[in-house]
Amino acid sequence: MKKTLAYLGERALLTLISVVLLFPIAWMFLTAFKQPRDAYSLSLNFEPTLQNFVTVFSDPWNLGSMVMNSVIVATVTVLIAVPCAALAAYSFSRFRVKGRKFLFFLILSTQFIPAVVIVLPFFLMFRQLDMLDTRLALIIVNLAIVTPFVIWMIKGFIDAIPTDSEEAAMIDGASRLRVIKDIVMPMAAPGIMTSSIFCFILTWNEFLFALILSRRDAVTLPVGLVSFRTERGDLWELMSAAGVMITVPIFIMALFIQKHFTRGMTAGAVK
Amino acid sequence: MAEVRLVDIEKKYGNFLAVPKQSLTIHDGEFLVLLGPSGCGKTTTMRMIAGLEDITSGDIMIKGERINDKPPKDRDIAMVFQNYGLYPHMTVRQNIEYPLKLRGMDKASRKDRVMETAEKVELDALLERRPSELSGGQRQRVALARAIVRTPSIFLMDEPLSNLDAKLRVTMRAELKHLHHELGVTTVYVTHDQMEAMTLASRVAVMREGRIVQLDTPKKIYAEPADLFVAGFIGSPSMNLIDGAVKGGVFRTDGVEVPVDLGDRDGVVLGIRPEELEITQDTDAAIGGKLYALELTGESTLVTLRNGPTSVCARGHADFEADIDSPCHLVPKDGARFHLFDRASGERLR
Ligand SMILES: Nc1ncnc2c1ncn2[C@@H]1O[C@H](COP(=O)(O)OP(=O)(O)O)[C@@H](O)[C@H]1O
Ligand SMILES: [Mg+2]
Repeated sequence: MKKTLAYLGERALLTLISVVLLFPIAWMFLTAFKQPRDAYSLSLNFEPTLQNFVTVFSDPWNLGSMVMNSVIVATVTVLIAVPCAALAAYSFSRFRVKGRKFLFFLILSTQFIPAVVIVLPFFLMFRQLDMLDTRLALIIVNLAIVTPFVIWMIKGFIDAIPTDSEEAAMIDGASRLRVIKDIVMPMAAPGIMTSSIFCFILTWNEFLFALILSRRDAVTLPVGLVSFRTERGDLWELMSAAGVMITVPIFIMALFIQKHFTRGMTAGAVK
Repeated sequence: MAEVRLVDIEKKYGNFLAVPKQSLTIHDGEFLVLLGPSGCGKTTTMRMIAGLEDITSGDIMIKGERINDKPPKDRDIAMVFQNYGLYPHMTVRQNIEYPLKLRGMDKASRKDRVMETAEKVELDALLERRPSELSGGQRQRVALARAIVRTPSIFLMDEPLSNLDAKLRVTMRAELKHLHHELGVTTVYVTHDQMEAMTLASRVAVMREGRIVQLDTPKKIYAEPADLFVAGFIGSPSMNLIDGAVKGGVFRTDGVEVPVDLGDRDGVVLGIRPEELEITQDTDAAIGGKLYALELTGESTLVTLRNGPTSVCARGHADFEADIDSPCHLVPKDGARFHLFDRASGERLR
């Protein structure tokens, strides 16, 4: 009896937390399919429409180009950051170089600096270089933000891989780079995949730098959202439709991680 | 084909001296076994030869060339790791094939070679599995196959049979011995199993706390152990080591009286092998006491008798039967060897 009560209590609490967490998301998804007149109503009894998605992709909103910007910035950032970070992480994990602890701390310490503090110097720098409002500027900034984090994350995964297989490969005749390619990367693949997706999400959702460094050509989705706050008021149904565009890819990626990469890759290597 | 020379090598882990300064020459084509209890530095020594561990000081020479700074891949060595070190994301076939692939062997020859090797270690039915789907013994055989799939200048094997069941271990032992006979490749083999060492080795290096205490043929090590440690380590059941004193040319202690060729001395240990003792009805025999235990091993019976602090084991006939606690007497067989050691230093006296 007591047990059931505890169980019910636990359930109730979990349900409450889920509702609080999920309500805004559910609200966003519903609103995305509402007509403007229904936007503020809490009733589920509304006539769904896809018009909002059509509207956000046409003039004057032109969400298409923002989607393009976001995809390019996030993808290129991941494609550059992850391979570099993986090599750096491997070195930090395996080579006993003097001062490596300090160097690693230095890299991590970049993460302690509040973004607001450095956004202005970045702005000035890119203005000087005449790179404001370019995707390249955003990619560079995102690389600076994300790479240390990804190094730290991948290092954790590589630390957990026993060195025996690598040593075996070196004896078998592989060079260090070959070992990394043939042995370490496949074994670290789940971790690297997870890190890549994290990296993508961080870049995809990045708001502050994109807001300051872009104006018209390089505007990304999160920044684009702001444009739905107009002098005519907040266009919630359009903002929600755009919000869905931001959320769905991330959601699909999360599912993908769960499905393919939760399985450990090191099982069976050693005793 | 290669001679390996370790010259004044020393290995420290921080302040911990794992292998003290010493030299060792492994002859071309020799099967050298490093034998010693767990933690005595066998793996460390082997890893230094392989180039996986920096040496603190000294030189390693292979074929007369100093290779201290050569990476493992350029030393032309194949190694079986104590912890296997398999490639978990590859199938058994890919694991065994990998060294051949790195050497650029063509696909067809690789396939044949892998099959041939897999059959040797009885893995041919498991080629498409991954290491995680194998038992410990099977994994160990993959590690072994991966090493013997090619013909290097040197084989390094770190307890390659430790995880196999008794029967397969004997089969694989014979397989390894045959392989060595066939290829004649210089082999360094690590084990803590003296039986494996005795059966496989051209020479055995018995190690203790990082130091090689005796380096000789199995026969010589068995017949003339250099000190108490080796005496107790080699042989199964191990040599009887009896504490006593020598006076007037006779070694004496409770229940034991044996004439020996040694001056008067206290703190002497007499060593005699169980297989060199036999049971007798003669009550004046050299060794006497009460029967303490009888263990039938199949081909013989191990007879242990006690007298005060003295405990002596003999290998008797399989049919031998007697009551526990009944009086029992042992005599050395013709040609039996008495080994005499100094209790304090462990050194061999005679
Ligand atoms: N990486 C290491 N760091 C510190 N001590 C080590 C390391 N590897 C081995 N040792 C120590 O060196 C000694 C010899 O180890 P090892 O060569 O593995 O012994 P064995 O193979 O004979 O069992 C042990 O006392 C062990 O604790
Ligand atoms: Mg070992």
